[in-house]
Amino acid sequence: MDTLRRSVEQTHDMNMQSPVTVSDPIGVPGIARGSDGRPIIPADPAALYAYAQAIRGTETLLLDLFSKGQLSGTTHTCLGQEFCQMAVVRALRHADDAVLSNHRNHGHFLTYAGDFVGLVAEVMGREAGVCGGRGGSQHMAFRHFHSNGVQAGMTGIAVGLARAREMDGSEGIVAVMIGDGTLGEGLLYESMNLASVWPAPVLFVVEHNGIAQTTETAGTIGGDMLARGAAFGLTTRRVSDADPALWRIAAEAVDEVRATRRPGFLVIDTFRLGPHSKGDDLRTESEIATIRARDPVARLGDSLDSERRAAIDTSVADLIAQVAATAAASSEATDRAFRPSMFPPPTCLSDIAPAPPAPPATTARSVRTALNAAIGELLNDDPRTIVMGEDLHDPYGGAFKVTAGLSQRYAGRVVSTPISEAALTGAAIGLALAGYRPIVEIMFADFLTLCADQIYNHAVKFAGVFPELSVPMVIRTPAGGRRGYGPTHSQSPENIFAAIPGLTVLYGSQRHDNAALLRNAVQHWPYPTLFLEHKLVYGATEDPGRYRPLPAHAKDAGGAAFPTLCRRSATPDAAIVTYGGMVPFVEAAGERLAQEEELDLDILVLALLAPLPRHALIEALFGYDAIVIAEETHSGYGVGAELIACLAESGYRGTIRRVGAPPVPIPSARSLESAVLPGADSVVAAVLDAIAA
Amino acid sequence: MAQPVHAPRVNNNDDVVKVARICVQVGDAVAAGDLLMELETEKATVDVEAESDGYVLAVACEQGQDIAVGAVALWLGATPDEAPPQASAGPVTMVADSGMTAKARLLLRRHALSAGAVPRTAARLTAADVEAYLALHPPAASSAPTPRRSSIELPAPAETSPLSSTARGMLATVTWQRDHAAAAYLELEYDPRPWEAAAAAFMRERRLLFSPLLSLMAHRLAQFAHNAGANATVLEGETAQLVRYKQANLGFTVQAGEVLYFCVVNAADTLAASDFVHKLFYLQRRAMGHNLTSAEMRGATIGFTSMARWGVRRHQPVLAPNTGVMIAHSASAPDGESAILGMTYDHRLLSGFDAVRLLKTLTQPGSY
Repeated sequence: MDTLRRSVEQTHDMNMQSPVTVSDPIGVPGIARGSDGRPIIPADPAALYAYAQAIRGTETLLLDLFSKGQLSGTTHTCLGQEFCQMAVVRALRHADDAVLSNHRNHGHFLTYAGDFVGLVAEVMGREAGVCGGRGGSQHMAFRHFHSNGVQAGMTGIAVGLARAREMDGSEGIVAVMIGDGTLGEGLLYESMNLASVWPAPVLFVVEHNGIAQTTETAGTIGGDMLARGAAFGLTTRRVSDADPALWRIAAEAVDEVRATRRPGFLVIDTFRLGPHSKGDDLRTESEIATIRARDPVARLGDSLDSERRAAIDTSVADLIAQVAATAAASSEATDRAFRPSMFPPPTCLSDIAPAPPAPPATTARSVRTALNAAIGELLNDDPRTIVMGEDLHDPYGGAFKVTAGLSQRYAGRVVSTPISEAALTGAAIGLALAGYRPIVEIMFADFLTLCADQIYNHAVKFAGVFPELSVPMVIRTPAGGRRGYGPTHSQSPENIFAAIPGLTVLYGSQRHDNAALLRNAVQHWPYPTLFLEHKLVYGATEDPGRYRPLPAHAKDAGGAAFPTLCRRSATPDAAIVTYGGMVPFVEAAGERLAQEEELDLDILVLALLAPLPRHALIEALFGYDAIVIAEETHSGYGVGAELIACLAESGYRGTIRRVGAPPVPIPSARSLESAVLPGADSVVAAVLDAIAA
Repeated sequence: MAQPVHAPRVNNNDDVVKVARICVQVGDAVAAGDLLMELETEKATVDVEAESDGYVLAVACEQGQDIAVGAVALWLGATPDEAPPQASAGPVTMVADSGMTAKARLLLRRHALSAGAVPRTAARLTAADVEAYLALHPPAASSAPTPRRSSIELPAPAETSPLSSTARGMLATVTWQRDHAAAAYLELEYDPRPWEAAAAAFMRERRLLFSPLLSLMAHRLAQFAHNAGANATVLEGETAQLVRYKQANLGFTVQAGEVLYFCVVNAADTLAASDFVHKLFYLQRRAMGHNLTSAEMRGATIGFTSMARWGVRRHQPVLAPNTGVMIAHSASAPDGESAILGMTYDHRLLSGFDAVRLLKTLTQPGSY
């Protein structure tokens, strides 16, 4: 047993660089493994039948365990689709080949990894699970295999991963598995288009089983399936899993993508024998009987010599019994590495020390110039840096000119992309997983909601579910109003994104060293990061004035790399906490309050909004009788609200006021916009109110 | 009619432009095409020219200044004697009380002064006015202790955290006693039964729900403190001054959960016993609900505290800031026949004899 578990753990080491010999894994009898431990499934009928039967036996075991209450959560079996799931994956033999899959992934996983115990134990929530029980049925990771429970969610990531293979000069390709139901999701089309434009060696595999959870394809897909791939310039193929040509055509599709380095589109017609998940099959007995009658696995078994078939069936039954026993013997998953947050515990902070400060710029420069210089340095110093976004190329240089001059100097690494915010974000995740340092520019922060699934369900999930992985990517975007751009080009959506566990949210100001903030985020902070830049701040001269960094608290992850600034007065009457585009208005309010009301104010300017540097802030703010928090965005459910909650939890008894926009759309007309967005007047009123309380 | 000349948008993304040079002065005659000013951004310099002949009526910016795109930079007119439109009023100052600055209001509150008492040197009362007044009329005592930063090295690894409000109040109290009073303590043993009988009778007659024993003792303190010289304090300064309060504000400690309150019955010496009892009950109820206002916790001149609730037999209380005396009531002995009444007093006000005489008075109930 010990030997078995060791071998299982060994295969779980996703950071391994060299192929490993798996000593004695529980695998399908008669199926050899390559030097990388992956099963090699020859295209002979007995081997294909044996492997498909092993997958089917595993799926049947899972349903059986579910009915016995031995596993919680959910599972989506590939009963009836075993050949369909094996065909492409078995043809991916290059060490760099990657498979990205979906909720129905067991056949892909077992064909790729051959780890039957790892799968069953994972779904059972046991220690021996391939992801230690964190992922379950839908979220598996093993070397270059990743699955996720959001339908088209992995397609953009596949494009980025494939692009990385191309840039690495590798012959590896990426196969991304989707179902016919996924053809209803828009991200898929962004991804196919991006793969075609770049191009990227990615094979989109549509497993067409004719039914969504319970809705048949006729009710979900209009028009032609193959034409969808052809429309984006992808080479298309279609084959049935009952066709003996399946194995050849799947291999041809793989080989073509590998050879041409262009995307392909393969539809495999198949039928699902089992329910979508469990107990949700509404099909009639006669429909199921028809599917059973054409079952390609059973038909291939029929073609074998009956003694041979019986021997295979017996050895597969033995294998499944052994897998069930081994998985059941593994103890319940306990996350020894459990962390209360996805950021480094204090002891690891030294690993993420801030970069040494850049030599001071010889002449005063604007925030835009500072960011432009920092991106140039990152491109120059680290070939892994990739900058992507809409209209970044020269001579345009991006909507706010932050990348001006860079596309010519770093050709191929400053990339103008289609208007596909979601696919772009996904592609950045793929590049980051492959070791690159992508910087994405989203033209307006308002469009971040188009990226939300990729951030919320993917970027932050890799490291959270698979601690060995990191996604070091930065999404830069101009935010904020006061330029008359109206309701959908003026917002500051940090409130929405600061609430995402595992996402770092930064917002610079003209008082900050924006180049240092960006350098630290890109090079020294291996977590998905949103980097907000206020539109009005771009043109402002960067100047720390009398601000000094607040000492970082050892318990605040990121506190040193992304400092809060503080401007103190001799005898403060109140403190104002602010960030981003509100800084000049808060400073103007401070001047008026000093002149007209003789009040002295300390001003704290945040850069790190999430994870909030709460310990340092509480320590800094506790001594004030009155605190005002000024945000340009609506203040409900926001960063200020979180800070106030922290203060309340720590026993702060002073007076607190919030300044922010009301929860209404931001109007376009200058007069209306300035009535909605908070200005110096609002800050003055809030301070006076707080002090009078 | 006066025509504005606006600061132009030089680059799409620049919302301010710098005024590099102003080439005209008010009164100058200009011809269409004449250079009026030079503006610059990070990337470009532009000339602003007159669009028509006329005269410079006003220059609304200064050389070197950053001005907003679209703002009026200067005014031209057809004749030199036109008046440029008045700039609209600046932002309205949102002052709740325009009679004084916010800082002045803070200082008045901090030193418990009324605005009427402080002479003003301008239309609005300023912090300087209040500070000048304070210099001439030193406050009874500094309301907050001078913070002292400890330089000791901690003997063991430790975590620091800010003081709770109760701890801050206690720090202010002990610091005042240490730095500004000459605290002395004495106690008397007495027979508590007459007091208990008086309180029981009072409770019965007035149909109270709670025993008024402590309230009646505190009331008796308020009755006698003034004549005993205990309703007073000493103001330090170049020449120390005796301050005799004109009314006795009785502070009474209430422990509500973790929080210790010191609620104050103002002018307690002028109240009849039953009014005093009701007033103190009311404050105690509010304290238990954490609903006391800051006004209800300010201004004590004498104090009363009891630890009988916890069975404490004797305790030595700390003088509250600016008070002359603090009475310490404790639990009776198990036989119920004796108890100890303690008293901390400011020795600068009272001799030991004065103090004993006052304390002796308090060991016996009045007639109600």
